[in-house]
Formats: sequence, structure tokens, C-alpha cells
Amino acid sequence: MNELDDDQLREMLQRLRRFALWLTREAASADDLVQATVERALSRGAQQRDHGSLRAWLFSILYRQFLDSKRRERRHLRWLSWFGGSEEVGNNTQDIVEAQSGLAAFARLSVEQRALLLMVSVEGMSYKEAAQALDVPIGTVMSRLSRARAALRELTEGAPLPPGLRRFK
Amino acid sequence: MSQLIPSEEELQAYVDDRLLPERRREVDLYLAAHPQRAAELDAWRADARRLRAALAGQLEHAPNPRLDPAWVRRDLRQRRQRRWASAAMLLVALGVGGLGGWQARDVNLMAGNPPMADAVQAHRLFAYTSSLDLSVNSPEQLQAWLGQHFRHAGNLPDLSAYGFTPVGARLLSNEQGPAALLLFQDRNGERVSLFLRSPSERYVRMPSGERTEGELQARYWSRGDYNYALISDVADVRGAQLRQVLGTAL
Repeated sequence: MNELDDDQLREMLQRLRRFALWLTREAASADDLVQATVERALSRGAQQRDHGSLRAWLFSILYRQFLDSKRRERRHLRWLSWFGGSEEVGNNTQDIVEAQSGLAAFARLSVEQRALLLMVSVEGMSYKEAAQALDVPIGTVMSRLSRARAALRELTEGAPLPPGLRRFK
Repeated sequence: MSQLIPSEEELQAYVDDRLLPERRREVDLYLAAHPQRAAELDAWRADARRLRAALAGQLEHAPNPRLDPAWVRRDLRQRRQRRWASAAMLLVALGVGGLGGWQARDVNLMAGNPPMADAVQAHRLFAYTSSLDLSVNSPEQLQAWLGQHFRHAGNLPDLSAYGFTPVGARLLSNEQGPAALLLFQDRNGERVSLFLRSPSERYVRMPSGERTEGELQARYWSRGDYNYALISDVADVRGAQLRQVLGTAL
């Protein structure tokens, strides 16, 4: 079995960066996330894969790294709040969204919904691959997909949403 | 008839064009009869199209060199090496501590200490490690370092005629004061070391001589302010010549 080669990975970088950008909504943390993903991929001694499964695998690594970093961030914030200070987590959607107003509604979806639509609608990944990347059963992917699409539609039309759906963090 | 009513999952697959052609036709029929649902699915599909179009431009970020796999590989390797180096240093530190204790015990047990035993120990410990205080590749660098730490040391001879070039040095210290281990290597990676320190109380001026300890040969002498020892492999016939050259030069 051949080792994963650098060119294969290189081809994926831009996709990974786009995915990371829409998870973190911040260019610098997005690239940190991609770097951590490449590191993880390389240090796992990855084998050669075809294009599709390599992408699914890398996306799943990236998504997990993202969740881990969120968890750390929350812990960090909890610590800060214990010591009296509180710090707003950077959310620089502005610069990546304002350029394209078509993305404003998308930016307001929850991070899970963004991840799912990116994988299925934008990347064209199969439901199975998306389920693996998000680490949920395929049935969950389907129902989330339905909700994500409905939410995007409503946000695009500017229809009012129940408060629970408004939160996108 | 009930089979004709598509499930929610099938409708998603319809939006994503993932249905088999046969089923797709059936769903088309169903949607023709349910215009409201059809309009919703159309809108979802249009949303997906818009999203794809809007995000297509985000595949052209300016390259970031630290994301390149080659760079990440290098970085990983360096971090691994640093970890190994610290582990090795710890081991050496433990080893030196342990040996020190062991030697102290030896001193107590034996009336006499074999001459320049510390030189042999130092060679065993450090000759083939990379944990040196100084890495050099020219005799001048080594000479400069030596001059800094041992002001009365003479000039190191050029050993390249015997196939040896300097690789580095390590500063040591024991109960007899500061000492230094200078390492030389031949083309095959074979190393010899020159050890020097101020004469100890026990050997104020040491008679020249040589002895064998295990697979190592120590040749020692005193000159000027220092005691010297050349440690080499017992089997290495160049040892005697090197000793000659060093003895004359230093």
C-alpha cells in the first residue's frame, strides 16, 4: 500500500480551507484548522485513497478537529467567566459574507447545518460520506438536511424564525 | 398507491439528483399532483445552486505555505526530533547522576582509581550522542572553543592526515574540576576522543601510560597544566599514532 502523496493532499487544500472558513468564519483560525488537519492526516500514516474517499476522510478529520477546538474554547471561556472577565469569541463573518450578499442567509445557519450543506450541496459528497464525517447515522443526516434546507429558505426569504433556530453558534 | 408517496429522505435525494431514474419519474408524477411541495423542492434546489455559485469563488485563497504537506511533514519531523532530543538529554542526565554515584562508590571501595577513568566514562557516554555543547566541522572552531574554556591548552594538531576531523565537544565537570571531551570522527563514523582536565589531587602529575577497559583503549599523559587522555577503540591501530601527534602538539 502506498503512502498518501503530497500532491493528492495539495489538491484538497483549497476545499478544506473553504470548509474550515465556513465552520470558523475566520480566515486565520480556518487555516490553523487546515494545518492541524494536514498534520493529523500525515501523522496517521495515511494510505493512498481515491479522490472521493480522501476528501470525505479529510473533511471528517477537519470537522472533528473543529469540534475539539470549540470544546477547548468553551472551557476557556468558562474559566474566564469564573475569573470575572468574559471574552467574546471572534466572529468575523462580516468580511467573508458582505462581499456576497447571497451568503448572508447561509452564514446565519447553525454550524452543523452549514457543515452539512457544504458537504452535500457544495461538495457533492454522498449522504454516507457526510454521515461519516459528522459521525452521525445516515438517518440523522437526512432529517438534518431537510431542516437545514428549510431554514436556509426561510432565512433567504427573510421570514421570521422561531428564536431557537435563530442561534447559529 | 402508498408506495408512490415519496418519503422525506427521497425528497432530499430528489433535490440532490440521487434517485434512480425509475423512482425519479415516480416522484415527478407525485410532484405534478402536489404543486406546493414541488415549488418548495425547486426553491431548495435553487438555493443549493446559488450556494455553489457563491462559494465557487472561495476556492482561490492565496496559497499559505504552512499548509503545504511538505512543510507540515518537515515541521512534524522537527518536533519529533526535538522530543527525542529532550528524552535523550534526560536519559543522559539520569545516566550521569547514576554513574557519578557509582563512581563515588568505586572510589570508596578501591584504594586506587585507574588513571583517567573519567575520560573513559565520558567517552562511553558522549562519543556517539548528539548532545554536544558544540558541533564543529573545522579544526579552527574547535580550537577557538578549547581556548575559551582552557586557556592554557596548546594547539590542536591537524588529524586529517589520519582520517579524523573534529565533530564537536562537550564540557564536563567532576570532583576534580572542569574537563572537556573533544570528539573526532573518521569517514566511516568511527570516533575517538581527546579528554583533558586539570590534574586531580590524586594524580598531580600523571605518568604517561595506557590501559584497556573493555573494548576501549585509553592512552594518557600529562603536559603543561593538564592531564590528557586519548580514548579509541582497542582494535584501532591509528590510536598509537594519534597519541604521538597529540602528545607533541599539545
